[in-house]
Amino acid sequence: MTLLRCEGLSLRLLRDVDLAVSDGERLGVVGESGAGKTTLLRALLALEQPDAGTVTCRGRQVRPGSPRRLGWFRRLVQYVPQDPASTLDPRRSVRELVALPVQRLGTPDEGRRMRGLVDEALDAVDLPGSLRDARAPQLSGGQAQRVALARALVLRPALLLADEPVSGLDLPLRAQVLASLRAAFERQGTSLLLVSHDLAAVAALCHRTVVLADGRAVEDVPTRQLLRAPQHPSSRALVTAVPTLP
Amino acid sequence: MPLLDVRGLRVDSASRGLLQGVDLTVEPERRVGVLGASGSGKSLTVAAVLGLLPPALRATGSVRLAGAEVLGVPAARRPPGARPGVVRQDSAGALHPLLPVGRQLALPLGGSRAFARARVLETLESLGFRDPGRIAGALPSELSGGMRQRVCLALALMTPSSLLVADEPTTALDVVTQAGVVSLLRDRTGPGTGRALLFVTHDIAVVAALCDELVVLSDGRVVEHAPVEDVLASPGHERTRELITAARTVEAHLYATAEAP
Amino acid sequence: MVRLLSRVLTVVAVVAVVGLLPWLSGRDPALTVLRGRSADQEATPEALAAVREQLGLADGPLALLGRWASDVLRGDFGTSWVSGAQVLPGALSALGVSVTLMAFSFVVVLAVAALLVAPSLLGVLRGSPRRTSGAVAAALTALPEFLLATALLVVVSVWLGLLPPYGWDGPSSAVLPALAMGLPAGGLVGRLIADAVATSGAETWVSTWTAAGAPRAALTRGLLLRAVPPVLPQIGLVAVGLVGGAVAVERVFAIPGLGRTTLGAAQTQDLPVLQAGMLLLIALGALLGVATDVTRRAVLGRAARAGGLVIPSSGHVVRRRDRLVPLTALLLLAVLVLGGLAGDPYAADRGRLAGPSGDLLLGADASGRDLLARLGQGAATTIATALAVCLAAYAVGLLAGLLPNATAGPVEVANAAPPVIAGLFVAAVVGPSSTGAAVAVLLVSWAPLASHTAALVAEAVAQPHVRVLPVLGVGRTRALLTHVLPMVAGPVLRNAFLRLPGVALALAGLGFLGLGPQPPTPDWGLVLAEGMPYVERAPWVVLAPALSLVALSVLAVSASALAPSVRRRPGRSARPATAQRAEPVG
Repeated sequence: MTLLRCEGLSLRLLRDVDLAVSDGERLGVVGESGAGKTTLLRALLALEQPDAGTVTCRGRQVRPGSPRRLGWFRRLVQYVPQDPASTLDPRRSVRELVALPVQRLGTPDEGRRMRGLVDEALDAVDLPGSLRDARAPQLSGGQAQRVALARALVLRPALLLADEPVSGLDLPLRAQVLASLRAAFERQGTSLLLVSHDLAAVAALCHRTVVLADGRAVEDVPTRQLLRAPQHPSSRALVTAVPTLP
Repeated sequence: MPLLDVRGLRVDSASRGLLQGVDLTVEPERRVGVLGASGSGKSLTVAAVLGLLPPALRATGSVRLAGAEVLGVPAARRPPGARPGVVRQDSAGALHPLLPVGRQLALPLGGSRAFARARVLETLESLGFRDPGRIAGALPSELSGGMRQRVCLALALMTPSSLLVADEPTTALDVVTQAGVVSLLRDRTGPGTGRALLFVTHDIAVVAALCDELVVLSDGRVVEHAPVEDVLASPGHERTRELITAARTVEAHLYATAEAP
Repeated sequence: MVRLLSRVLTVVAVVAVVGLLPWLSGRDPALTVLRGRSADQEATPEALAAVREQLGLADGPLALLGRWASDVLRGDFGTSWVSGAQVLPGALSALGVSVTLMAFSFVVVLAVAALLVAPSLLGVLRGSPRRTSGAVAAALTALPEFLLATALLVVVSVWLGLLPPYGWDGPSSAVLPALAMGLPAGGLVGRLIADAVATSGAETWVSTWTAAGAPRAALTRGLLLRAVPPVLPQIGLVAVGLVGGAVAVERVFAIPGLGRTTLGAAQTQDLPVLQAGMLLLIALGALLGVATDVTRRAVLGRAARAGGLVIPSSGHVVRRRDRLVPLTALLLLAVLVLGGLAGDPYAADRGRLAGPSGDLLLGADASGRDLLARLGQGAATTIATALAVCLAAYAVGLLAGLLPNATAGPVEVANAAPPVIAGLFVAAVVGPSSTGAAVAVLLVSWAPLASHTAALVAEAVAQPHVRVLPVLGVGRTRALLTHVLPMVAGPVLRNAFLRLPGVALALAGLGFLGLGPQPPTPDWGLVLAEGMPYVERAPWVVLAPALSLVALSVLAVSASALAPSVRRRPGRSARPATAQRAEPVG
């Protein structure tokens, strides 16, 4: 069943973009900088009203609005930002950070078992118990990354939108984070929409890939087909540009 | 005689040693990649070469550039041949924000206005800009990151020094733009161009695509310095092996996905 | 849109308050008019009623305002209640004098600023940009105009007999006033630009240019183009501040300028003259503000919109000796207060103008009162008042800063208004008093704190961990109150406390002009003003309060150097392009 869909989406440089993610599916959106990836995410997260077109989640239309009106949507669709470490409030502890979505978006029932939920989410990302009362500045890059992931997963959303989650990381750490992301998705069956300029990251995680160029979706194919035989010139440029060791 | 000769470079802050005796040479027309994680000391080494070490740090050892000892000498007081051209990660900060890039590119040029403008347009065109007139009139903030980086490269190539220092120039760029900048660097430095390259990065794949020699820094020391193909074939240090393994793991996904039925 | 509306409304409100002065004024204007017309006329109820009828006070505020506004638009500012003469011609000739004086002081400002900026520029050109210690600039900035004017008058005119002490005839009489106004302003402008040059000299593009072999002249031009526009708004404020400085300086040197005229009118309750003077002073200030803004846009051209503007962040490190200076000044002031609290500031039981001696450490004033006791008591009350003003300004500033768009207009006006203008306003409405002075200083001192709050809020709101909040189900109001406010409240409070000496100085300045506490209150400014006529016979009656005020000034400036740099107009300055990393949230 279709989980999140946008049809005829136009906003700033985006022109008439259609795409859809089904339950359990992992979709990549790739493109050069300036292709409109960030704008697309803003529209899909209901942070901005598109000039034209619609965003629907499980068949229900999504528009920007107050947290109360959009609560159902935020429970279903969560977000892992670029450079997740910087999105952790340095003044709050790891537990408080992960508990925030439960307080604001959760049901009263979940509020009662908040501590359990938080610990489950932190277990799922393998964050050691000794770090759970630490504050963000005391965490390493990889640990902060995992806390941000736990915060996004604590309410067990059906879909995660991720924005270049590994592009700021050193190569060894990048491999490690990609592996743990993949494990988390396979275990929970969460869907993913991954936005990146890096085909290597998309290849590691996504079944299907949409290529965005100059605000249009120019290719929408299974990832392996894109890597083997890219059709559009932008797709070819992306595929050949990935630096590899001889 | 090497173009750049760094010997026993030590940099200490008040509390601890940051560089523990770095030795590094760049021969004329060679491309040397410097690889290291953040905190390995690569930025400090570059700062010492460029004359930009913070005054609070104490530096000892020797940095000879084109025959002149330059350690601790700011670029403004060096002979022209010992002021290397620079391309950096932050291309926005590397240009004056309030002047059109054409005016900045004309700075090193003497002669009449018309002559300078012609040279600037010519240089921009040779770096792959299709509309050099428009670029010359634009402010740095009106260009994309990749375009700005190419403008910085143009300015760096106008310096009289025969060394070009590139400090993580592709880190902030997307992969397609990165490939373009790397290929420009490959064309403009190395054998036959009269210019050597010191390329600093944390991405071993980019070094492999661009450089002749590879230097690996770890904890303020050089742990490996050899031709790139030798290092890839038989890494001599634990740290180098880690970097290569990580790069291969990420790549493996690419191949595995592409070749899956 | 909200910003524009807020600005327009603020200007309208200010002009309306000026127009309503006769109605707002607590005392009966009819009495003033009657006294002015003929001293011996009996103030009978009938006579007073006739005058009221004539002034149209009975018609209510709106009719009064409408009549005043339409008269002003026709160029009719009415007649003076005191002299009965037409107001406008006198006000215009006074304006001419003030503008000439300001032109002279601009020359001083330029010269001082150039001298202070040169070392910074040279440092960058030699490849070692460094922040100058700023001691000279700080010393210049330390002295408020009324104090510097007094000092110059005493030393140069009275003791050395070099230049005329009073009046306005020929260029020689403009030298001292121009110095009194230009030295502090030039020190401030020079320090701002020198700091900005040193900061931008450490930016990456300088090394790019140096490596490329850019000529020194080009590098100098590039540096000034980079450093000056971001501080131009602050330079504009300094220029507007000169208008306030002119009031004090004209008063000290008895120059028939607009400031002195307006001040006189405030003291005699000559409201038509006061209204015209205030209107012209405000217009002059606004004109200077607009002029700097236009200059900034002209210099920047397209770049103003391109977002390439970053206010060079001050990488200022507080060194130990930076703290030494304010601590010494603080200690001196503490000794003064403790020494003075023992004596009686009101008892006139000493010899008139008695010199300093064993049991009369600072001497006595013209009424035979103990100067040490007066200064000590004055310090205690001034500091208590200043503390109250600071706390009130903190509360108002914090609230206003949370709504930067709606409060943009009031913040700009209050930021630009010198305390003296606010003091004139308040004194005209409720008469001069120490409460009035406190209110006047509060009227202007909340604005820098609001700017600071707004800048910090803008910074906080741009932080990724705040921008992500909507996705986590945290609404705007809640995010502002539970996430942003706690980040902002502490730094702004520290800023408010560091402004305490500056506020105390502003209070003393109002006291000096007679807009604050009235005799025999032992206010510092008042003590200094009372001593002025006796400066030749008994220098200590001026020296003691002047030196106390110098200590306070040093404290004010050195403390403000410890304060975080306040970015004006945070909405306008873009972040560096690297910070505008593509991020969908926010």
